[in-house]
Amino acid sequence: MEINYKSIYYPPGGILIWIVIYLELFTFGMALLAMAYYGSLEREMFHQSAQLLNKGIATANTVLLLTSGFFVARGVHFFKGKEWDKTNKHFLIAMLFGLGFLALKLVEYYQKIQLGYTMDYNLFFNFYWFLTAFHWLHVLVGIVILFFVRLSVRKKKDQVATEDVEAGAAFWHLCDIIWLLLFPIIYLIF
Amino acid sequence: MKLSLTTTYISVLVLILITALLATFADASYKVPAIIVVSLAKFWLVIFQFMELKKGNVFWKVLIVAFGAIVGLITIVLL
Repeated sequence: MEINYKSIYYPPGGILIWIVIYLELFTFGMALLAMAYYGSLEREMFHQSAQLLNKGIATANTVLLLTSGFFVARGVHFFKGKEWDKTNKHFLIAMLFGLGFLALKLVEYYQKIQLGYTMDYNLFFNFYWFLTAFHWLHVLVGIVILFFVRLSVRKKKDQVATEDVEAGAAFWHLCDIIWLLLFPIIYLIF
Repeated sequence: MKLSLTTTYISVLVLILITALLATFADASYKVPAIIVVSLAKFWLVIFQFMELKKGNVFWKVLIVAFGAIVGLITIVLL
């Protein structure tokens, strides 16, 4: 049955995943605005702290996550075209890029901990750890979801509902868009 | 479809490069608004193209545009 995406009840992936997406965006958005507010009160401290972050790793992570999202989007496209092998291949590549993001972030965390920039260091690093670690967990959950969506497509092929694949992909893209908000505010603008 | 996804991907990569350049070389007076605007462009491109919200009901589209615009605007005003 063809999905009527124009209906308010059927955005791509289904209404439930979009409610989750908006709630997540609202949560992260409020936290980022709180960070911007406190940053406006203590500009010098936030500026000095932001200089301690590794912008190179953050930019590489942005590219990794975006590339992963690209492969997921293509995977959904191939799923709709009933090209199962290509769908599986694209989801696998997306998961590998996602794992690359997680690994690189752990390298960054290790560096910060070695230098003593933990959550207690100052308010900036409090926000940094809270927001990026919460996002890291989302990416981990996203990889698990992609794993099961891929497994389902491999085993059941056309018995898998399009909406389920789209919902899994939407959660993955949620990780992507949250990072696109975190990256400039945490790493670049202070 | 494939072309559209590839075009979106390349566009967002270019925007990431522009963001990095702005963060490094932009004058302090316009650095924050410029970075926020470019970042929102990436945010909306991913949502409308990769997540295919372009096919969705106008309600969801308006909501996501409004969310990005409000967060971006408040950040620019604060900083």
